[in-house]
Amino acid sequence: MTTEPQHTPRRGVAGPATPRPPAAPERSPALRREHRRRSVFAYLTLSPTLAIVGLLMAYPLYVAIDLSLRGGQISDLLNLEQNPLTLDNYGDVLTDPGLVSDIVRSIVYTLGVVIPAFALGLGLAVLLNKAFPGRRIIRPLVLLPWAVPGVVVSAAFAWMFDASYGVVNYLLRTVGVIDGNVAWLVDSDTAMFAVILPTIWKYYPFFVLVLLAQLQSVPKELYEAARVDGASPLRQFTHVTWPAVRTAASLAIVITGIGVFREFDFIFPLTGGGPNDATQTLAIRIYNEAFQFFEMGTAAALGIVTMAICGALLKAAGRSVRREFG
Amino acid sequence: MSTTLSRTRRWSLLALAIAVTSVLMFPIYWMIMTSVVPSERLLVSDPPLVPPADATSFSAYTSVLRDVPVLEWMRNSALTTVGAAVISTVVSTLGGYSLSRFRSKGQQAMGFTLLFSRMLPGTLLIIPTFVLFANFGMVNNLWSVTLVNTAATVPFTTWLMKGFVDAVPVEIEQAAMIDGCGRAGALWRVIVPLLKPGIAATFTYASILTWGDFLFARTLMGNPDGWTVTVGIASFIGEFSVDWSGLMAVGLISMVPMVVLFLFLEPFLTKGMATGSVKG
Repeated sequence: MTTEPQHTPRRGVAGPATPRPPAAPERSPALRREHRRRSVFAYLTLSPTLAIVGLLMAYPLYVAIDLSLRGGQISDLLNLEQNPLTLDNYGDVLTDPGLVSDIVRSIVYTLGVVIPAFALGLGLAVLLNKAFPGRRIIRPLVLLPWAVPGVVVSAAFAWMFDASYGVVNYLLRTVGVIDGNVAWLVDSDTAMFAVILPTIWKYYPFFVLVLLAQLQSVPKELYEAARVDGASPLRQFTHVTWPAVRTAASLAIVITGIGVFREFDFIFPLTGGGPNDATQTLAIRIYNEAFQFFEMGTAAALGIVTMAICGALLKAAGRSVRREFG
Repeated sequence: MSTTLSRTRRWSLLALAIAVTSVLMFPIYWMIMTSVVPSERLLVSDPPLVPPADATSFSAYTSVLRDVPVLEWMRNSALTTVGAAVISTVVSTLGGYSLSRFRSKGQQAMGFTLLFSRMLPGTLLIIPTFVLFANFGMVNNLWSVTLVNTAATVPFTTWLMKGFVDAVPVEIEQAAMIDGCGRAGALWRVIVPLLKPGIAATFTYASILTWGDFLFARTLMGNPDGWTVTVGIASFIGEFSVDWSGLMAVGLISMVPMVVLFLFLEPFLTKGMATGSVKG
């Protein structure tokens, strides 16, 4: 441990509280020159970041917005001026009765992943924060799925969920939970569950990583003191552990939630959005509109609508998270 | 801590940990198991749960390496991953330093960009990006995948690095500057060596994300010569009769570089999460 634990467990709402070098208020020419050199250096070091974000994020976003506002048959994506400006794409997207189902599926998928992944991550973080033999071997194993590419996770679960020879069916049959084989990925009743499970497996280690880092910065004396005062393990959790992790926890939930909301790597290889659209989330629909049906305008409009929905959910979640935890 | 826990309690915690880990590691176990057992033993209604001694072989590995261009895919993945990780690390070290040391408008903008870039659906971003690269004749060029993945990681890694720079006292570089170092010299000779854990964390994060990238590589590399390992693996899944042993073998081979990197650098990443971005 080279870094000081800087965490104060009872700090309230998140806020950047980093020390700043004091700005020089005096105005001698030498100081002003120094000041100018400082700000040149500040922007020089920040410019690669700004260039990359601007070129590969802001500009594509601008093109996407432009694209979403163009009507007619889009033949040349580089000369969008040929196509008339219109709101038809948004009209089509917003009046499509399928949109609500897509939104609902996206939310079901997101919550279905984030809630279990968080619970699992929190449980494991608390467990790994305790001293027991073999902990140093268990920790990297538990975190390992994070390093596995999403597509490989999908391949493994595609095989485990295989309708005829999958091990999931075999185990459940042996235990007696099911009588016949279930076609997990082909049955529209089970497909959503079958794409959620691999996503949980990929995402829970991130929660372990974040929460364990927080727990390790809690002084052990706090637990000692709580024990001396006769606090039960449950009270120790609610009064020592939870206050220490809750800020990081809510931030990690939000970051993961947004990530899952637009996740592509599991649903697309496993079901492509099927069967009968049972796993078609907004992210999958955008991709299919664009690269399967080549409806670029519709896809772009849908993407912008998705962002708006995501932003609205974020805002709502942000408020309830603050109320719940703050 | 450990002294106050009784012996039985410690061992029961270990038992619990082993039980949970076994369940969580089952998919990886099953991949290994599938890759060493021939298909005719697997495609039955009661497959063996441990590799049978008489039928265990590595033939799935040898045949998949012979029939499928796995090594080509791995090479393409390695090129994009190293490229994106190196660029991300350099860019976000500079950016993180700037955000940590100077109060500017850029700082608030970056915080916003971090969240905003997460909101941007990759499937939306890829449409204009595809057009942009097509315009420059860079579709089917691994640089396009490298750059898009860099852009996807930089907002987060910059924030991560800022956390690490924050932990380095300003006095250290001020002392170096008084000793005659320029600002750039102080950054390079004094700060960067102290940021090794942060650089390791950033490099790991960017590598794992880029190695695992499927969406960008799939869209930008239409030509099978340029497929990365994730695109290659996904092409297996949709096939009519999947060679599961071969697919699991490729999957396991593809995991090796990131698992090795992860095991080496995981401690830095854990520390990075404590000092860095996800801190309250």
